[in-house]
Amino acid sequence: MIAFALRRIASMIVVLFALSVIVFLIFFATPGIDPARQMAGRNATPETLAAIRSNFGLDRPLPVQYLTMMDRIVVKRDIESYSNRGVQVIPQIIAAAPVTFSLVFGAAVIWIFASIGIGLLAASLRGTIWDPLLMGVSLIGVALPVFWLGEVANLVTQQRFHDTFLFSWVPPLGYVPLTEDPIGWFTHLVIPWLVLSVLFVGFYARVLRSDIVSSENEDYVRTARSKGITERRVLLRHQLRTSMITFVSLFGLDFAALVAGGALLVEVVFGLPGVGRLTYLSLAGLDLPVIMTTVLYGAFFIVVASALVDILYAFLDPRTRTA
Amino acid sequence: MLSLVVLLVIIIATLLAPVYASRIAKTDPFASNLSGTIVINGQTVPVIQPNPTGLGSTPIGPTWQAQYFLGADTQGRDVAARLLYGGRASLIVGVAAAVVACLIATIIGLLAGFSGGMIDATISRLLDIVWAFPIYLLAIALSTVLLVQGLSIGPIAVDPGSLWLPVIIIGFVFVPYVARPVRGEVLSVRRRDYVEAAIAQGARRRRLLFKEILPNVLPSVIVIFPLMIAACILTESALSFLSIGVQPPQASWGTIINGGQAQLYTRPMVSISAGLMIAITILVLNILGDGVRDALDPRAKLRLRRRGRAQA
Amino acid sequence: MTTNTTKSRSLFALLALAVTACVLAACGSSTAPQGSEPATTAASADTAATAAADANADVTLDSPHRGGTMEIVWNGFGSSIDPGVDYDGNWTLLRLTNDGLLTWKRVAGPDGNTLVPNLAEEIPTPTADGLIYTFKVRPGVKFSTGQEVKPSDFKATIERQFKLPGPVSSFYAVLLGGDKCASTPKAGKKCDLSLGIVADDAAMTLTFNLLKQDPDFLQKLALPFAYVLPANTPPKETGVTPLPATGPYMIESFKPGESMVMVRNPEFVQWSKDAQPNGYPDRIEYNIAILPNAGTTQVANGQADWIADQIPADRLGEISEKYPEQIAINANPQVYHMVLNATTPPFDDVRVRQAINYATDRAAIVQLWGGPKLGQITCQILPPNFPSYEAYCPFTLNPGPTWSAPDMPKAQQLVDASGTKGQKVVIISTPDEVTTAVSLYFVSLLKQLGYEASIKTLQSGVQYTYVQDSANKAQMSMSYWYPDYPAPADFLDIVVGCGGYHENSTANPNLSMFCDPAIDAKTKAAEQMQLTDPAAAVAMWTEIDKLVTDAAPWVPLFVASNLDFVSSRVGNYQSNPSVVGGFMFEQAWVQ
Repeated sequence: MIAFALRRIASMIVVLFALSVIVFLIFFATPGIDPARQMAGRNATPETLAAIRSNFGLDRPLPVQYLTMMDRIVVKRDIESYSNRGVQVIPQIIAAAPVTFSLVFGAAVIWIFASIGIGLLAASLRGTIWDPLLMGVSLIGVALPVFWLGEVANLVTQQRFHDTFLFSWVPPLGYVPLTEDPIGWFTHLVIPWLVLSVLFVGFYARVLRSDIVSSENEDYVRTARSKGITERRVLLRHQLRTSMITFVSLFGLDFAALVAGGALLVEVVFGLPGVGRLTYLSLAGLDLPVIMTTVLYGAFFIVVASALVDILYAFLDPRTRTA
Repeated sequence: MLSLVVLLVIIIATLLAPVYASRIAKTDPFASNLSGTIVINGQTVPVIQPNPTGLGSTPIGPTWQAQYFLGADTQGRDVAARLLYGGRASLIVGVAAAVVACLIATIIGLLAGFSGGMIDATISRLLDIVWAFPIYLLAIALSTVLLVQGLSIGPIAVDPGSLWLPVIIIGFVFVPYVARPVRGEVLSVRRRDYVEAAIAQGARRRRLLFKEILPNVLPSVIVIFPLMIAACILTESALSFLSIGVQPPQASWGTIINGGQAQLYTRPMVSISAGLMIAITILVLNILGDGVRDALDPRAKLRLRRRGRAQA
Repeated sequence: MTTNTTKSRSLFALLALAVTACVLAACGSSTAPQGSEPATTAASADTAATAAADANADVTLDSPHRGGTMEIVWNGFGSSIDPGVDYDGNWTLLRLTNDGLLTWKRVAGPDGNTLVPNLAEEIPTPTADGLIYTFKVRPGVKFSTGQEVKPSDFKATIERQFKLPGPVSSFYAVLLGGDKCASTPKAGKKCDLSLGIVADDAAMTLTFNLLKQDPDFLQKLALPFAYVLPANTPPKETGVTPLPATGPYMIESFKPGESMVMVRNPEFVQWSKDAQPNGYPDRIEYNIAILPNAGTTQVANGQADWIADQIPADRLGEISEKYPEQIAINANPQVYHMVLNATTPPFDDVRVRQAINYATDRAAIVQLWGGPKLGQITCQILPPNFPSYEAYCPFTLNPGPTWSAPDMPKAQQLVDASGTKGQKVVIISTPDEVTTAVSLYFVSLLKQLGYEASIKTLQSGVQYTYVQDSANKAQMSMSYWYPDYPAPADFLDIVVGCGGYHENSTANPNLSMFCDPAIDAKTKAAEQMQLTDPAAAVAMWTEIDKLVTDAAPWVPLFVASNLDFVSSRVGNYQSNPSVVGGFMFEQAWVQ
């Protein structure tokens, strides 16, 4: 067990290292991308350009540049953005993380409760029209492109119906920290939460329902029923509980991916200055230090989460350890 | 069944886009028509109408007739015709990317699961690397870079403006999502008694691969396929929304939503209609996927487990 | 890269369209919105009263309008807050935090382009040979840190230009010793201008010794690069740490991609109403995370006071109808154009370049931009506010001073003659709305002319770099440019001439890669004449403008006007025409 965990951690480090090399190569080996040009300002002269290239070591060989950059990100933790000179990247990510976390956390609360509710309801109403109806609605949730939903939500709440009593409370796009103004935090985020959670509510409700339904014929359910336990108790105590294993492991991965920057479309559409938006902007501006750092930060979350899930699985089911 | 019908209708409609544009609407969905006019109820009206205040102009809204059925976009092009052409591109990219993803994934999944040892370890680590990116970030990173110079791997050169570029990028980022479960499936098939017996008897590897393992793995891939198409279409639309997917003047539903942003306040129908088309297509693909799964793999062991994270 | 001498005499700015720097307005035809009728009347009464008392008094002190927070949304904010580094990204606000010896008068209307003394007591006359300028520095002015501003700070500021280096440090290479500082990065780091700038802190005098005459020298001293910073300011871009301020405001915090806040500088005492008047709002807050569309909505809903980005074309109808009192249009000298790469087929053939020019429906493009009120059709390189400007349009149905309609038959004929039909043309665009729209129009047009046209969209950060580098062979892209001030300098040499053409470099402002030896000879002659016979030079520049226009390295499209949209509570709207001008939001009322 410990050996497996250690192996998993070792491979995690290998993955992160390889990832950093690949990202570095992708962005430095592409002709037409010139970080010095971006740093020099918009209308710099060739002389200025040359000076910047030598000041920032951009005229040195690639392996040296790679090592310098990694040293700054991982060891010295002192790396500046290329596009916004003087901006420390790591504090920037630390500042962006609470925004993303607020967004993902709120959405996760909604999606956990709503999907369990819908999943249970549909499973218990099997055989009635409600089951396919709820599942159909969930499927629609899965099918909506999240950026489009966000746009439409903005159209409705910020413009078309902003002046009606329904949405006059909706504040302008953006983010307010929880510590500064809890109510503002909530009102700024509630629509992004809903938009982000729609997909997951639909997806998780369907997963949960089908897990519950497929557990119908399992021995433990039959045993419980034969003991004369009420249907409701069987559903909540036994079926829901076992189905939650899949649910929780899925949740771990999704949550990690979103915190890692996977919520970028929602962040971009709603103007939330989170990690996803930061990564997107750095990609758009080809701000290499920020790209490197955010990608490593994001990959770290995902790799750790998937390692945890794997270790958990290995713990529950020894057969997968060799995998 | 209904879903299949709807899907077929969408496919046929988008395939008939050229016919619609040239015969019914008689508009060119790819040519700017900034100063053109059309006739509505006997009156000649400009396609792009200058605002009464003299500031800005507004493209014509839905006419509900053959020409400009859903109105015009900011270039004065027929939105309805573009929607059909866009659907064609979206479906082509979605299907082709799904084929790329499933094909590569099946090959390397089989290779890894069947060979074991170093090959398996290497492939698994490579998959881990791709997998460690949030999927959109990887796709955005690749698109940003590849749009600068295009892609050339050996003899294959892909032009930045070509539809193949999003196909390759999207297909590539989804490989681990299929390859991992395929590899798992191969491992579990290998462990079955009769396969182990065959190995013990010294059956030829190749025969084993094609006679025993592939037939067992294939249904799982087929079950994934429609869901993969759905995921690829969604990814394409997201990339195009960020203007790094399908490149104009070609249209896809994503580029129409993106372009529609420029007229979201005056003519929201442009974005809304393209979004609805995506939603309907994804919906029927998902229903279809469920149907295929029920038919081929009733125990549903191989659900596209980590699909949720692909789509935020 | 040996052409820095010509460059050093030129002030120009050329920006990729996508990076919207929209606050450069001239006030020729300003239609200022009125916050409210009584407020405006009160203002004129105020002004009249104080003008009688003391023309230079700080009128904000007793004003009921003093105070409040000016809320600005600006998605395009992306530049440095270091005046030594920023090249026209944040000049409009750096103007309020820092000062140079000279500046452009802080008033609305054409008078706003007049140079006035700022931290100098008066504008000096150079010695007869035009090589020595002696300034008297205004005493008693303090940095926000409490330090007094001394002549030696100015010397250090210019030296810092070479140490950083600033984006166009070679502007100041005309100073004695400046040529050495500009020669290599190493020499720049150790730049010493003791010969070129003599600072006497006791007498408060500052003397500039020039290598050679420079007709634009005073204008260069008015640019933010020369805004004075304490002598001990590190020769390193300041990043997010605000530098000491001298103006009425200082930057309190700057979070890139999020916000920027300016507050009153406690050390500021108004010294010249013309140069640096005190402002009304107590705080100026920028929200820089909001996209233009959302920003427009915020101003409409009164959640923000001004949007510094361009208003999306889609919203123009809505806001001009619903909020006519809250918009103002100011003429703007930016010339928008399509760049045709004269070194790459098919545009290496002058006939093809001319054909595109004939075929372009400029009226339709102006409509894409927002209508004739926001864009004036043009066919030539020079903008209308230029001394050498003479309206000229060869590329129209009936050639003459103005454009009337596209001439398709003529265009088709030229394309046929060139034998380039069927060739591939790729337009390099950005995700920006207008750039995309115009690029799409040209794809259509090129197809109509028989070319195989397509678009390549690059992120704006990459696009401008990409099209500059001749190695990329970018065939066509949209761009705009404007001069930093209307002076008959050698910009024709830089933006469409040999002087600005640097092969295989990403610091190549001549996007067309256009370099014609015959025109170049004329340009060089005109540059010489500038110093000896300015009047004759003007005529010569007019001729060169026509020659370049005929050779068609561009498809000139229109001269843009700028539209400001402010919230209903904003009063006392005024706009300044200088390069550091635009909406003077510090003069506006939010109370």
